[in-house]
Amino acid sequence: MNGALGRALRGLREHAYLAAVSAGVIAAALVLLGVYGLVVLNLEAVVSGWQQDVHVSAYFVATATAEETAAARSELAGRPEVLKVELVTAEQAAAWMKERMPEVEPMLAELGPTALPASLEITLKDGYTSPAAMDAFAASLQASGRFGEIDYGREWVERASGFLRTLKLLGAVLGTILVLAALFLVGNTIHLVVYARRDELEILRLVGATDGYILAPFVVEGALEGLVASAFALVILEVVHRGVLSRLHDAVPVTFDEGGLQFLPAGPLVALVLVGVMIGVLASWVAVQRFLARLA
Amino acid sequence: MIRLYHIVKSYGDRDALRDVSLHVEKGEMIYVTGPSGAGKSTMLKLLYGAERPTSGKMLIGGADVSKMDNRQLPSLRRNMGVVFQDFKLLPHRTVGENVAMALEVIGAPTDSIRRRVPAVLNIVGLRGREEDKAGVLSGGEKQRVAIARAIVNDPAILLADEPTGNLDGAMAVEVMEILQAINLRGTTVVIATHDVGLMDRFPYRRLRFVDGKLVVGGIQPRSKA
Ligand SMILES: Nc1ncnc2c1ncn2[C@@H]1O[C@H](COP(=O)(O)OP(=O)(O)O)[C@@H](O)[C@H]1O
Ligand SMILES: [Mg+2]
Repeated sequence: MNGALGRALRGLREHAYLAAVSAGVIAAALVLLGVYGLVVLNLEAVVSGWQQDVHVSAYFVATATAEETAAARSELAGRPEVLKVELVTAEQAAAWMKERMPEVEPMLAELGPTALPASLEITLKDGYTSPAAMDAFAASLQASGRFGEIDYGREWVERASGFLRTLKLLGAVLGTILVLAALFLVGNTIHLVVYARRDELEILRLVGATDGYILAPFVVEGALEGLVASAFALVILEVVHRGVLSRLHDAVPVTFDEGGLQFLPAGPLVALVLVGVMIGVLASWVAVQRFLARLA
Repeated sequence: MIRLYHIVKSYGDRDALRDVSLHVEKGEMIYVTGPSGAGKSTMLKLLYGAERPTSGKMLIGGADVSKMDNRQLPSLRRNMGVVFQDFKLLPHRTVGENVAMALEVIGAPTDSIRRRVPAVLNIVGLRGREEDKAGVLSGGEKQRVAIARAIVNDPAILLADEPTGNLDGAMAVEVMEILQAINLRGTTVVIATHDVGLMDRFPYRRLRFVDGKLVVGGIQPRSKA
């Protein structure tokens, strides 16, 4: 390596301040990318939870008897698109309501045990959850005449995942801009380093150094700056993650899965480090090449 | 060693060199001289590859370098030392480090660097000064460090652009004596200078330029004979 590492370390010592600025810019970009990744990851987990949770609530008409509801249940259980059917009796519905909203208890008591209709909670198989399929399914239930209201949150889930798709697209665009901006800023910082060392580079050229020999320590420096920046960014992300997590738990009992708010998994973490190193290396490379092209 | 045929170098519509043809033989020591703006520095820049001729043909050590691309620069310069009026040293590095740069770029092993650097400093009269910072040396000493760096690879050619331009009389003479000694060891030495007194004191062939034209010391190329 022509002692590139040694020359890189000497370079870092000789312009420690500018090296720190470069690493800081890279770290800031990585933190922004990481925070964005965390947000998308966790929203995705929530929405996919909803998606698995797509089910149809079919409320029986008030006159339905226990025999009728049981018959409807077993009939539906036999249909190919149905994964699972659960019967919620009027009593169960009232109990659930009492538990969730104790203040409505007097009202329920007044209305009697059939204030809330019995219902079937139907979970559909994977292939039958498109909006069209669900509409058709709901229409067939309606046609049976047994049911009053039929609820399915499909549209809402669709809208949430549509929003998530937009968010991801926006993130890809903003992320690209962010990486380019970091490249530009780091490139300019390294350009200052190159400028401060122009005499040395001119002399190296004069005594017969190849471009590769001149570039190598700058590229190594860029990689080291990227590594330090990524380590720094990961620490900040972990702190942010913990802070948000504890605050979320205090504020709302949101239905995150057992793991709670997720941290980035290994893949994206490695990608983040690679992006940091890539910014450092590429910015150094371009800054030095541009300088060398002008040097005789 | 150096052969130029009808070399023209223009900067925009300004001709720095016009139809220059010349030969420099191996082991020769010569002056490139003439008034300020005559094209002396341009001549040397062509020789060390900082500039390409606009037209004409140029051979160095038998190789045609008139249309060389920048990737060939390192190999040209590893066989050539260059010295300037302003020394071009790194003031915060030691004398030894400044000289060693020329060996490091060619990947010389550490023990050979440790041997070569003191040996070459001995030639330029700076034995034992390896650890001094280059920035604190006198002008004459700086130029001798620059010469040491230029010759540490044993190049075939040494180019010097006004090497004594920043030095007073005694130091200039010292530097000339060193260049002379290097030439005596077989290196071809080309010195650009307009110092007539120095040229009289160290008499060698002169290539005299005026306004980009070689007026004394050129060759009549066969094509024009
Ligand atoms: N890079 C350049 N661009 C434009 N003109 C130049 C450049 N270098 C040299 N010249 C012109 O070429 C002529 C010769 O310059 P130079 O070789 O430096 O002369 P000398 O070294 O003999 O004083 C001068 O007129 C100078 O202005
Ligand atoms: Mg000049």
